[in-house]
Amino acid sequence: MKNKINIDDFSRPGGQVAEIDPAELIPLPPPYDRMEKPPIRKLTDEQRKRMDASLDGVVAVGLTPPASMEEEKAFIEKFLAGLEKLFSDQDNWTFLQPLVHTLEYCVKCQICSDACPAYISSGRQEIYRPTMRPELLRRIVSTYIKKEHPLLRKFKASNIDINWQTLARLAELAYRCTLCRRCAQVCLLGCDNALISREIRKLFSQQMGIAPKEIHEKGSVQQIRIGSSTGMTPPALRNILEFIEEEIEEKTGQKIKIPVDKKGADMLLLHNAGEFLAWPENLEAFAIFLDAAGVDWTLSSELAGYDAVNYGVWYDDVQFARVALIHAKAAKALGVRKISMGECGHAHKAMIVIADRILTGDLNIPRESCIPLMEEIVLSGRVKLDPSRNNFPVTLHDPCNMVRLMGIVSPQRRILEKICPQFREMTPHGVENYCCGGGSGFAITQSTNFPDWRSAVSGRMKMKQILDAFQDVPGPEVKKYVCAPCSNCKGQFRDMFEYYGIWEKSGILYGGLVELIVNAMVDLKKPFIQWEWH
Amino acid sequence: MGALIIVLTYIAYVFIVAVYTVKVAAWLKMPPHIRWDLYPVIHEEHYRYGGSYYEQQEWWTKPRPRNTLRSLLYSLKDNFYMGEYFERNRLYWLFLLPWHLGFIFIITFHVLCFFAAVAMVGGLDIDAASPHVAGQIFYYILLLTGGIAFVTGTFGSIGMPIIRLADRGLRTYAMPMNFFSYFFFLVVYGSGLLAWLILDPTLDEYRAYWLGLITLTPPALHPMTVLHIVLFDIFLIYLPFTRSTHYITRILAYFFIRWDDEPNLPGSDLERKIGGLLGRKVSWEGKHIPAGKSWAEAATESGLVEAKKDK
Repeated sequence: MKNKINIDDFSRPGGQVAEIDPAELIPLPPPYDRMEKPPIRKLTDEQRKRMDASLDGVVAVGLTPPASMEEEKAFIEKFLAGLEKLFSDQDNWTFLQPLVHTLEYCVKCQICSDACPAYISSGRQEIYRPTMRPELLRRIVSTYIKKEHPLLRKFKASNIDINWQTLARLAELAYRCTLCRRCAQVCLLGCDNALISREIRKLFSQQMGIAPKEIHEKGSVQQIRIGSSTGMTPPALRNILEFIEEEIEEKTGQKIKIPVDKKGADMLLLHNAGEFLAWPENLEAFAIFLDAAGVDWTLSSELAGYDAVNYGVWYDDVQFARVALIHAKAAKALGVRKISMGECGHAHKAMIVIADRILTGDLNIPRESCIPLMEEIVLSGRVKLDPSRNNFPVTLHDPCNMVRLMGIVSPQRRILEKICPQFREMTPHGVENYCCGGGSGFAITQSTNFPDWRSAVSGRMKMKQILDAFQDVPGPEVKKYVCAPCSNCKGQFRDMFEYYGIWEKSGILYGGLVELIVNAMVDLKKPFIQWEWH
Repeated sequence: MGALIIVLTYIAYVFIVAVYTVKVAAWLKMPPHIRWDLYPVIHEEHYRYGGSYYEQQEWWTKPRPRNTLRSLLYSLKDNFYMGEYFERNRLYWLFLLPWHLGFIFIITFHVLCFFAAVAMVGGLDIDAASPHVAGQIFYYILLLTGGIAFVTGTFGSIGMPIIRLADRGLRTYAMPMNFFSYFFFLVVYGSGLLAWLILDPTLDEYRAYWLGLITLTPPALHPMTVLHIVLFDIFLIYLPFTRSTHYITRILAYFFIRWDDEPNLPGSDLERKIGGLLGRKVSWEGKHIPAGKSWAEAATESGLVEAKKDK
């Protein structure tokens, strides 16, 4: 089926454009080459009636079909009005230049296709090519916005007939790209087809109010409303921090008071709130480490000041700007000298880089990654460390946002080389790394069978890389550690490792960087990493 | 005929320069965008592994060394090498590179012909047996650039449609315009190749043609050379309708998008520009975006109306 797909299939009413065939997915090393269950669950008939799955049988957005012709017409008109805004320097000054450049200058040479882990992992499914989304958008622009003459459209192969289903498929397709931007990295013309995925998402969100509910309604909207996309309110934060302090005492015997709302502290530390609920050991490790190093830091309990996530970076410029402003205001209220981002890739990129051209005046507070600070402390010897405590195989996952999109590559490596005797790299790594498969909001998107897709397809290349990195110790008898200094990546690893039964079959645990540092601290009587909590 | 060639050539050059200028100006005129850098950033100190100034603690207090010349050379290098294609699709590269070299060298050849004509007006004899060393050097450079242009251009124009049809990915996205271009460029380069090999092995006629152009004296040329020159002029007029501006815009995209890591420091010119952009009105219709507000307003008090209402 994959070889016969063409652009016209996107306009074909009914049916499904592509079918993910498990036999075509790239092979994984044994014993993962023989999965017992089908990689991606089929939707029920009831689900199919309720949510459009006509792209590939998978649902991330899940649009409900229109009830009437009028509804369909209004939907299309609203989309086209939004498309015009995408090319307006009023409505889209934020990304107009890279958008226009990519649409006008991509020569569809397909050099980017082989750089895309989703495309390759899927067995080269035509619909997942990085050039497919821009091609659809380009054709819609040619036919409906520029209204080019039919003969010219024929000459340029830029014609398309759109209906509701074309647009529903386009919306879904925008959520089959993790925005890892490997495709952009190899483009000799400076085009960025991943950006087009984001621009399509933006059009649907900013114009139509359409986005996966985990990202918008339960994500950025909830964060702005109650303080965190996790649903954690400021009072709940206090309770969790008390719990964390007790945990620290239980594990280490140390009484550490986590500073909250400390006015005039040197540094506001912004964590992804997912850590508070899913990986409290990361917060505990930060508290132990910073306390031992004598750093003057604080957390904020202001609305959203304790949740570093900014899902807007994946789909909506307005939501992005709102969250960035809230974070900056929280820091300003405390009068801190700088903001340090905890182990969360997209929060790094959002607050340090992208928000850079949103935050002006007194909200333009210096912002940095926590990793160089950790490196300085580790390499200076301010905290005594014993590498033999980490004498197990460790590999490093490079979060795309922190590495390829920010250039923070070597500090984390220098730390691991100092504290992990069995550290080994994945291939490729650094700025050429592969995405975990959960990027751009995928790790939090739990809709129907989407988690299956991200484990089986978008995360497959990373799974293969991890297994290859530990190929000298493949069995579960040797405990191994994937260091992932990113909350979203950890979320993806949690789900993907469970999907493949990684702990049982291979004995691989995932966790952050600071946990490894604290695990090596000589002041701690017991190991900090608890393998039983896999 | 000679006068017609002169007029057509001037029209072609004025047209291509004007349209390219308008296109590049339009590209540059677009407002500054949100940062969207991608590493490695070549002007960075640690570009070899993709490191950035964010690797330093309190980076804003440290110098940010920047090597712009390295960036420029890096971005120009790929016009002559196309390394990513060599690594990832060698068969395609085998035709694509010559095809592109054909463009670069035929333009270079004509530009050099112009300078050669100027030198000839100034009394320089350009010939293999010229009494002036400069004239001999000029002669061989012209022969080399012209020869490379005709040979690589012809080879590339034959190979490109073949690979475009043979490769599944390329075929899916191919358009009739691609094949028209391949055919037309083949005719352009092929006519030049034939004229060179059969009639004018020293490329003397091109020097005469350019001499005629700058002295406004219609040259007497062989019909085969005339045919090639007319086709080349049409080629110049056709180019702006293709994506050929990418020779220039790809470098702009590198410098102004991919490698744009300029931080927005307090009090900077960039901060002032951004302040202006935040005042622009948004008209998006999503329910979470208030109508008729500016970016700054939508992102602050207006943006929280929905949240307050739902409490």
